[in-house]
Amino acid sequence: MAFNYDKYLRLEKMPTLWCWGCGDGVILKAFVRAIEKMGIDQNDVCVVSGIGCSGRFSSYVDFNTVHTTHGRTVAYATGIKLARPDKMVICVAGDGDALAIGGNHTIHGCRRNIDITMIIINNFIYGLTNSQTSPTTPQGMWTVSQKAGNIDPTFDTCDLAIASGASFVARETMLEPKKLEKILIKAMEHKGFSMMEVLSNCHINLGRKNKMVSAMENLEWIDSITASKKKYDAMTEDEQLNILPLGVLKQDLEVREYCDMYQDIKDVHQGKRGKITQDDFVKKI
Amino acid sequence: MGTFEMKNPGDQPVWVNTDNCKACDICVSVCPSGVLAMRYEVKSTLGAMISVEHPEACIGCNECELSCPDFAIYVADKQEYKASGFSFAKLTDDAKARQEAIKANNYYSIEQGAR
Repeated sequence: MAFNYDKYLRLEKMPTLWCWGCGDGVILKAFVRAIEKMGIDQNDVCVVSGIGCSGRFSSYVDFNTVHTTHGRTVAYATGIKLARPDKMVICVAGDGDALAIGGNHTIHGCRRNIDITMIIINNFIYGLTNSQTSPTTPQGMWTVSQKAGNIDPTFDTCDLAIASGASFVARETMLEPKKLEKILIKAMEHKGFSMMEVLSNCHINLGRKNKMVSAMENLEWIDSITASKKKYDAMTEDEQLNILPLGVLKQDLEVREYCDMYQDIKDVHQGKRGKITQDDFVKKI
Repeated sequence: MGTFEMKNPGDQPVWVNTDNCKACDICVSVCPSGVLAMRYEVKSTLGAMISVEHPEACIGCNECELSCPDFAIYVADKQEYKASGFSFAKLTDDAKARQEAIKANNYYSIEQGAR
């Protein structure tokens, strides 16, 4: 016997609609294995996904799932988490879903530090709608909407999450599924908003016109633009310019979680405690 | 509807489910010991299909199973495999050389000739 995936997948939806060699499948597998390793019951997990190739994620896993509107994954997930704080809520979104149309929801989810694990699958392009420029498309790459080469500066997802106040920020690629599994477990165990960026490939829509025709060529390119946190810190500033660090980039255990603070509000109205003051928080301003 | 053959068909270290495979070459590229390779298959969309060419060289590292996006490839559980009286091979120079040759052959089986 090998690992039993049957338990966690909706077999009637299989095989997946994703293209051959798509990283989404690897991330789905790593996620399922991480849940198995953590020993959480399927009924205690809710997977929320938006629109895009990554939106299919919630259709394939046999948990409580919500397939929501474009970019509003964090908004839905916040509601679910506030209603049932005992359940584990996981958001899955693509780079276009979470950073373009849903950018505002993402940063405010980070700011509230609500206990959601957000997996952003970053494939550097709008894959589902056939290669338009996304907020993470590297400059100079060919896209359908910018045929002379992309001139738009790119978002750094992890920097954005750190700046907006997420308490756990990590980046990993789908090239190393074992590491991905470990970091996913860390992210899900963390209490607070966990932002997990996973770099993935789209050789069909990004690679075809950018000299990365096969899945492996695209993955080699991803490998060349990333380095582990340790190696990244040892680099000079010039070298760091074109490299993305991998691993856990931020973990803050001090910040209060949103559902806890919401419980305080409930207690105030039920007369169980006095009004909330600035003394209830570590960081005052 | 896909099928998920987790049961080991006849004590193999690694086995594939050709119903799910989309021939993306990823498993072949991550194997350290040249166990896997692609073969021509007219019925497949990309004209290729994964095959286990040298199961005796499998070291049980599990990389191919983890990096398969379509749940098509499975590696035996290490302890169960040992309990049934088999063991995984050690990584040899021969196996490494074969892996390099398969990569140079565009992930296709060497026995089958150039792509």
